[in-house]
Amino acid sequence: MNLRRTLAGGLVNVGIALTALRTNLMRSILTALGVMIGVLAVILAMAVGNGAKVSVESTIAQLGSNMALVFPRADEERGGPGGGVGKLNDRDARAIERSIPGVIATAPQIRSSVQLSITGRRVTSQGIAITPGYGIVTNSDVENGRMIGDADVQSAARVVVLGQTVADRLFGDLDPVGQSVRIDRVPFRVVGLLAAKGSSLGEDNDDVVLVPLTTGRQRFTTSLKGPDDLSMLFIGFDPSVELGGGKRDVVRLLRERYNVGAGEVQPFTVRTTEEFQEQSGTVTAVFQAVLVAIASISLLVGGIGIMNIMLVSVTERTREIGLRMALGARRRDIRNQFLVESAVLCMIGGLLGLVLAIIAARTFEKLAEFPAPIGIPVAVGSILFSALIGLAFGGYPAVRASRLSPIEALRSE
Amino acid sequence: MRTRPQVASEPPLLETRALEKDYTLGGETVRAVAGVSLTVNRGEFVAIMGASGSGKSTFMNMIGALDVPTSGTLLLDGIDLASLSTDELAAIRNRKIGFVFQQFNLLARTSALDNVATPLIYAGLHAAERRKRAAAKLEAMGLGDRLDHSPAKLSGGQQQRVAIARALVTEPLMLLADEPTGALDTATSEEIMRLFGQLNDDGITVVLVTHEPDIAQYAERRILFRDGRVVEDSPVTNRRRAA
Repeated sequence: MNLRRTLAGGLVNVGIALTALRTNLMRSILTALGVMIGVLAVILAMAVGNGAKVSVESTIAQLGSNMALVFPRADEERGGPGGGVGKLNDRDARAIERSIPGVIATAPQIRSSVQLSITGRRVTSQGIAITPGYGIVTNSDVENGRMIGDADVQSAARVVVLGQTVADRLFGDLDPVGQSVRIDRVPFRVVGLLAAKGSSLGEDNDDVVLVPLTTGRQRFTTSLKGPDDLSMLFIGFDPSVELGGGKRDVVRLLRERYNVGAGEVQPFTVRTTEEFQEQSGTVTAVFQAVLVAIASISLLVGGIGIMNIMLVSVTERTREIGLRMALGARRRDIRNQFLVESAVLCMIGGLLGLVLAIIAARTFEKLAEFPAPIGIPVAVGSILFSALIGLAFGGYPAVRASRLSPIEALRSE
Repeated sequence: MRTRPQVASEPPLLETRALEKDYTLGGETVRAVAGVSLTVNRGEFVAIMGASGSGKSTFMNMIGALDVPTSGTLLLDGIDLASLSTDELAAIRNRKIGFVFQQFNLLARTSALDNVATPLIYAGLHAAERRKRAAAKLEAMGLGDRLDHSPAKLSGGQQQRVAIARALVTEPLMLLADEPTGALDTATSEEIMRLFGQLNDDGITVVLVTHEPDIAQYAERRILFRDGRVVEDSPVTNRRRAA
């Protein structure tokens, strides 16, 4: 019963609010505009922040889902100097594949920037020297032709698999499979074209070329010293394997192999995709929080606009307030009337801001090819938050209205 | 003098004893009402007269529960208004008093029906009941065909009748009219005063504040204020009556 009366009272106030807002239509629109811009900014900031999260997550997913990565450099996380002497080689990879349970495949790699050319064209790309394990661990496959095979690795064949971007730049619409291309002036035969992986966070996953590990070892210019040194090793685990445990196994094995004593800095770093996800989750959350904080300033300005206009409205309608009090309105009736008015004004602004934000986010997604998702919680939340802004910034004017003396209010012109 | 039979246990509608009201203006204390003791019985039609600054408006605000006295006793329907909270005073204004103003004080851009229904919002009635009662009062005022008209589309006399319907819609004990004809021409003024006369005949107490002797002639009792005191309290002779 009490709730019903409260609801009915609220509805009456919505009616009064709409009449009052219509009375000063231009002023209401301009005030709602302030809130609209604020809500627009905040929603867009959240959308871009969410987009960054999605983008980073998909980048990590592109790497391969259940994977540990080993880098031949001292582990900075464990107090190492960073960039110091690192160690990682083919034998480590074989040992890991042989003795750690749950490892599906390993992908030893040598990476280097390479220059590719055909007659009249020249492009720079990321060269990755691999074994067949790479395709398994990273979920990479060819769209055309074939992947790098065991025979290619054994014979150090001068064959290459091109990423889509590289193929497009060199050959355009022409099928590159079977064509010849020079990598750092040495002729290679193109045996395959990778399926597109798209881009994530502005990084083009298709701007790569794959060659056999042994060939890369001969041809790539790197700072690696040992005859079987690696610049990176991916370890693919079975989806059922818990990555934390897998990482511990890898670290233990490598520490044994390099005789790292307790308390000594290990000459390698092991990371898992899980850790990347956690790290990037933190980074994107901070990124999003900063964006939203900046955008909130415009919402604050919109809120101040609301307070300003509500103060004007209270002053202009002092006589109406006095009349309502004479007719029996209690202080809280007057307060609620103005609170509802400011909340309604803010919610209209918030709704407009939401609609504009959805349009802007869709446009942005198309133009910038960057995801900017607006979820239902954000949409509903923004409307409720707008109402909250109305209540917060309309609070002072509303309380001021309710504290007017009925007799002085009635007497005002 | 026409009187309604008084029930023995029923207190007078209005009773003031040594009522005082001070204002502080520019650091100086002004005694607007300086010791007023009077009684208004149920069913009376009283005109309160006096020049501006005589204290009649301050007195009216106090008996209308809009303002609180500085000292003295003020009983409305037996209730000591000085002891009430602001919310309780609001309830008194809502249930026991119907205000009629010089400038009508109707809400602009709001239909006659919604104007009349406004006090019922604060009485806590639901929408259907509010509309029903407001429509009945407007019909009684002869405005049954003007329910949806906004004040701007009504004549002065019609607006004042809407305001009277609004004052009556909560079935109050007393109509408190402050210069109700001040914004109306002579013919319309007479029409409105005759309406007050009829309402009084039907039983409601009317307290009229005016500075026009002609208008005061419609009342049955005349109370004259000067310098914050009652200087004359007498029955109206040659009373003008509804036709």
